[in-house]
Amino acid sequence: MKCPQFEERLSEYMDRTLPASEMGQVAEHLHECANCSALLEEMRSILLRCRSFPSYEPEIALIERVLLRTTGRPRTRTFRELLDQYFLRPLLTPRFAAGAVLTLMFIGLTFGLFRDRISSATALLSPRELFSQMDRGAQALYSRGLKVYDKKNEWQAQFTFIKNNMLNRLGLMIDQLDVPVEGKKKSGEPRQQQEKNPSGKSSLLLLPT
Amino acid sequence: MLSSDEKLVERCIQGDDTAWEQIVTSYTRRIYNLGYRYTNRRDEAEDLTQEILIRVYQNLKSFRADAGTFQNWILKVGRNLIIDHYRQTRRFQQAAGTEELETMNLKDEKVPSPERTVERDEAARFLREGLEALSPELKEAIILRDIEGMAYLEIAGLLGIPEGTVKSRINRGRLELAKLLSKRRAQLGWQM
Ligand SMILES: [Zn+2]
Repeated sequence: MKCPQFEERLSEYMDRTLPASEMGQVAEHLHECANCSALLEEMRSILLRCRSFPSYEPEIALIERVLLRTTGRPRTRTFRELLDQYFLRPLLTPRFAAGAVLTLMFIGLTFGLFRDRISSATALLSPRELFSQMDRGAQALYSRGLKVYDKKNEWQAQFTFIKNNMLNRLGLMIDQLDVPVEGKKKSGEPRQQQEKNPSGKSSLLLLPT
Repeated sequence: MLSSDEKLVERCIQGDDTAWEQIVTSYTRRIYNLGYRYTNRRDEAEDLTQEILIRVYQNLKSFRADAGTFQNWILKVGRNLIIDHYRQTRRFQQAAGTEELETMNLKDEKVPSPERTVERDEAARFLREGLEALSPELKEAIILRDIEGMAYLEIAGLLGIPEGTVKSRINRGRLELAKLLSKRRAQLGWQM
């Protein structure tokens, strides 16, 4: 077999559709002819490259145009597209982007400025610190309670004191009030009598005794 | 028993727009890539896809399920339009060969730069440059058989030529491409 005959049969040889007798002849020629075996290798690599030839995705707008020019009906949107159209796209407007950037900057600054406080606040959340805080709280509450109790006693004492004092004064005032009223009504006589009487009585009493 | 495509066509003819949308959605990519492989240009491939699908829509009633599958029919409509377009826009080049090698660089520059940036696959570009240098018949045979993966018989039906002719075109196309690319690689000093 010569080179031109080999070339004629190359595709069939690769597809293995050649009659068995010719397959042997081709193999023989390949063994002898370096050019033809190089050609076979080249063709094999071309076929591999053809099979992995890229396939491109046309733009969605192409389908849209075809539909508008045939049925005149717009393309049915997928759920994802609807989501994108009514939710994601409005969010991705320049205004929203600017707002988002500003918000992030604000959060960043806040965090930067108050980092120490934030870290101490987070440190307070450790169990040990939490326990000591609670302990301190309980102590403070207890001492305050004690103070309140003391205060109460103090107030109570003061109140009793004032109360007694008041009662005393009141009693005194009543006493003082009583005296003139009685004195006015029966003048100094009974008093004198009284004064005289006990003495008189006593004297009288004393007398018989 | 009708295939799902044929049921869709029936629904289309009865006026069901959603059935047509399904057909368009499932065939646009295939037709677009076919157009791109023939023309090597995205804008032309887009225009062709649009034209082909409009033509298919207008001629749905002439589709006969007993004469072949809907896919073969749609590809035939598509291929005919692509070839018409090809004849209108390009001079029908006869017998390509190794002489074409020198013009391969120029051909590459005809591709606008956005398309070149999209094309990251260097190997695919190399292959396409080789395909461009083939005659339209041989290039078409390689596109349909080795890139699209169609069977010999399908290609024969699509092109309206005997299966034997398809086979010999494919073999000649592969041979020319192999010789072209190995020479090109030797020129560039590549190992690909
Ligand atoms: Zn040889």
